[in-house]
Amino acid sequence: MSEPTTARAAPTAAGIAARHALGWLVAANAVGVGLAVLLLWPDLNDVLGPLTYGRWVPLHLDWQLYGGCALPLVAVLLQWCLGERPPSGVAQARVAVGLWSLALLLGGVAWLGGGSSGKMFLEWHGWTRPLLPLAMVVLWAVLASHAWRRRGEPDRSGHAGRAAVLLVLLAVPGVLYWSAGRGVYPSVNPDSGGATGTRLLLSTLGIVVIFGLLAEILGLARRRSGPWFWGYAGFSALVGAAIEHGNASHHEAAEILGLATLLGWIPLAWFHFTGGQGVAAARRWWAAAYAWWVLLVVLGLLNFLPGFSERLKFTNAMVGHAHLAMAGLVTSANLAVLQELGAGRRFRRFWLWQIACAVQIAALAFLGWGELGHGAELFYSAPWTQAIYGLRLVAGLGMLGASVAWWCDARGATNEGVAT
Amino acid sequence: MNGGTKPRTVPVVAAIVAIAATYGYFLLFAEFAFLQLATRELGAGLALCLLLGVLGAGGITGSLLAAGASGLNPRRALAAGFGGCAMAAALATAGGMWLWWAAAGVGVGLGWTTVLLSMRLRASLGTRWLGRGCGLGTGLAYALSNLPPVFEARPGVQAVIALMLAGAGLAAAGFLAADTVERADGPDFSGRGCVGWIAIFLMLVWLDSAGFYVLQHTPGLRDVTWQGPWRLYGNALTHLVGAVLAGWALDARRWGGTILVALLLLGLADILLAGGVGGYAGVPYTLGVSAYSVALVYYPAWGARPWLAGILFAVAGWVGSALGIGMVQDLHALPLWFVALAGTVIAGLLLVRRGELRGTGVLLLVGGFFLAPPARADEPSIARGREVYIAEGCINCHSQYVRRGVTEDVVRWGPARPLAETLAESPPLIGIRRQGPDLTNVGNRRSAEWQRLHFVAPRTLSPGSRMPGYGRLFKDSDSRGADLVAYLDSLGETTLEVRRAQIEAWQPDAAALSHPDSAAEAQRQFGRLCASCHGPSARGDGPLATRLAVRPPDFQHEPWRHLRAGEAAPEVALARLIKFGVPGTAMAGHEYLDDATVVALARYVTLLHR
Repeated sequence: MSEPTTARAAPTAAGIAARHALGWLVAANAVGVGLAVLLLWPDLNDVLGPLTYGRWVPLHLDWQLYGGCALPLVAVLLQWCLGERPPSGVAQARVAVGLWSLALLLGGVAWLGGGSSGKMFLEWHGWTRPLLPLAMVVLWAVLASHAWRRRGEPDRSGHAGRAAVLLVLLAVPGVLYWSAGRGVYPSVNPDSGGATGTRLLLSTLGIVVIFGLLAEILGLARRRSGPWFWGYAGFSALVGAAIEHGNASHHEAAEILGLATLLGWIPLAWFHFTGGQGVAAARRWWAAAYAWWVLLVVLGLLNFLPGFSERLKFTNAMVGHAHLAMAGLVTSANLAVLQELGAGRRFRRFWLWQIACAVQIAALAFLGWGELGHGAELFYSAPWTQAIYGLRLVAGLGMLGASVAWWCDARGATNEGVAT
Repeated sequence: MNGGTKPRTVPVVAAIVAIAATYGYFLLFAEFAFLQLATRELGAGLALCLLLGVLGAGGITGSLLAAGASGLNPRRALAAGFGGCAMAAALATAGGMWLWWAAAGVGVGLGWTTVLLSMRLRASLGTRWLGRGCGLGTGLAYALSNLPPVFEARPGVQAVIALMLAGAGLAAAGFLAADTVERADGPDFSGRGCVGWIAIFLMLVWLDSAGFYVLQHTPGLRDVTWQGPWRLYGNALTHLVGAVLAGWALDARRWGGTILVALLLLGLADILLAGGVGGYAGVPYTLGVSAYSVALVYYPAWGARPWLAGILFAVAGWVGSALGIGMVQDLHALPLWFVALAGTVIAGLLLVRRGELRGTGVLLLVGGFFLAPPARADEPSIARGREVYIAEGCINCHSQYVRRGVTEDVVRWGPARPLAETLAESPPLIGIRRQGPDLTNVGNRRSAEWQRLHFVAPRTLSPGSRMPGYGRLFKDSDSRGADLVAYLDSLGETTLEVRRAQIEAWQPDAAALSHPDSAAEAQRQFGRLCASCHGPSARGDGPLATRLAVRPPDFQHEPWRHLRAGEAAPEVALARLIKFGVPGTAMAGHEYLDDATVVALARYVTLLHR
């Protein structure tokens, strides 16, 4: 008598990208935890030889951005362009996503070896500079070939949408390669050394457009909200273009007012995303993403205002704000997206992630608020700063644990099958 | 792989002519005469870059369009491609706005023609003779392009020759075999195999175009490698022989061996170029280029897979050429580390092809770690130090930006720099957070001696600092530590006088001066922040004292060194020294301490002084 066996379910193209995404999220979070440990106990750097704190930071940032944050969107594109049961599509997706991951892995190895451009989130330098753009070209070729293969299917608006999105995406590898160059630097707010209001407005608008497209592709968008959503996006872009004049200060009213137009996205995002019939398991993730979005917009504007900017720029509060954007908003939205795609079972540890993320952000914001007046205490590791860094480490461990659980969930979804 | 039958003569000749015409058009016109025509018309600025972008985008588009063009009559479609190439060559000679149309036409026409032709070759040449046919066609194209009357002709004449080549291709297209051949299978044509071969050809084209650009654009090098009738005849013959030999090796199924030989030859040529002895690079370069170029025609022809050919020519051909030329233009040199990287990647992929995956993974990872762009010995120490600053990720904890409107910034870190000065750096190192001090003016806040001690043992000088130790950068044979210190020492060298004036003008808060001191707290702070140099009792006998060039003073027995005689307010002057240090000495400031702590320390030190 033989025991029942479990047949392995065939992975989908989107499922492959999802597993890579969650794998990179785990890796980036693990590096983040390592960094938190090194800040608390800097003598541990001596044990690591040449691999000291500064060499690990690009791995945390870039694996998070190009792995954990970007690959779920790749999963959506694969599902959208390849369709159901594409011939050779899974193998091609495996190659394309594999190359993407190989680029991230080699990038990480090079950064640890000291090969960095010196530009945060764009550390690709020397021989690593073309790696990710090349992986993107391969991915684009796979997406385009399947979009072309499906041109005979009766879905005209879908074909037009895919063609338009692919046309825009064609520019991405070149733009990434170009922008990683050391000679390229965006406009700077002369009074803060940070981003100008226009830059913040346009980059946030980029995220809004991506989420808007996601809603359309996943069928979540409310039909009536489309004109409002895209109309306001066009209006915001026009505002950005109108106030753009290079290195502008946050003391200029036009910069503040331009950035304040982002507040309009608080109701619009709610209106746009609550129309479709999404997957039940995704709803709490969308709700969390929305809550983080509201916080991000409001705090982003506050951080930019004169008075707040002077107090918070160059402090841990800005690190907290980056965590709010990437760990709060984007990760929650990406988990929702992966649920919509069916790339995992119901992802567990929702509250663990959300609470740990909130603690992390609050701890960094609190520390940042005190830094201007208590710089010496941060530099000399005063006990209260150590306590906050300790709290941050605990929160980081919670986030790492949650991401490991999701990765197992995504693997489990593939491994689950029919008992025979 | 099939043995193959003996092919018919007419399709064989037609295939060789078509290969020679396509390759010749590419070498003579797309890569050469068109560029010269465009440079003459547009200069060497942004417009030329855009035009070349149009050419490259056209090439990629043409390749992918041809790959997806199933259902067309293959010979007619190919003839149309040659026709388009001919028209584009004619348009280019018209100049003006036509140049832009010509760029798009050359790109699309060549991309289209290359892919469609590669789909006809196995039927025309047969599997047994495919390599030699590709070799002869490719070799003839290289030989023709190098003949002195052709190579040295004016760009307009070369455009006419290209037009004639396209005409010859158009005529030959009608005589190619129209039979359909089966798509090749096997590991070289699986998903992984295809990606591997595309990557191999990409690296080879990249190496080739970078090397060719250096050869053609380095004054003196072109004279000794590509000038004079006998040298040009020699190059033509070397190309032809190299290509035919490569074709023969490919027919003998020496795929990996052919690539390896091509890599070694190209690598040798590039090493000679990078090493400044490029005069010897001509022969290995021509042989290596010929060998891999034949393989670049042969592989997609053998596969007979349109999408493989399309992506191969788009990625390896067009993107690879752009990357090679762009890299040399960007770096103004062909870096040796890149040659090593390309060699590592290609060797790794050939190992993968042989199934040695584990070894390749290790090779890639180990190679990647050590392939950080090395510091150039001919750069000044400060520039090398800046690279060390970037490589070690100092930017992740230190900013280099003083906000002129923020009092705390200016007092602590010194005068602000003009934004234009910061943005002129490549890249600007503004940073985003301060886990440690801002370094905009660190050169006039910390001496080189202090920096060295601090890098080796940060917490000895700055108790509680979160900075890693960098003693490894100061080992005997390693100049990185000295370079890094030189770089930091250079920061703020233009603001020293302004900083001195700022320090002179500084006064502690009135509240700090009237604040009642806690002697015990001041003693604790002295023990923590000062005793490592000054000693616990301020006798100048701290653990670091013997390592300093000038021993710290014995406060109990020596007069003040840096206070003027008859100083009106010695307490304030001492507080100033404690807060800002003494520029040019190992006495560093404690800029981030609040005024009350600084004044309390000044009073405590006064008590110690006899």
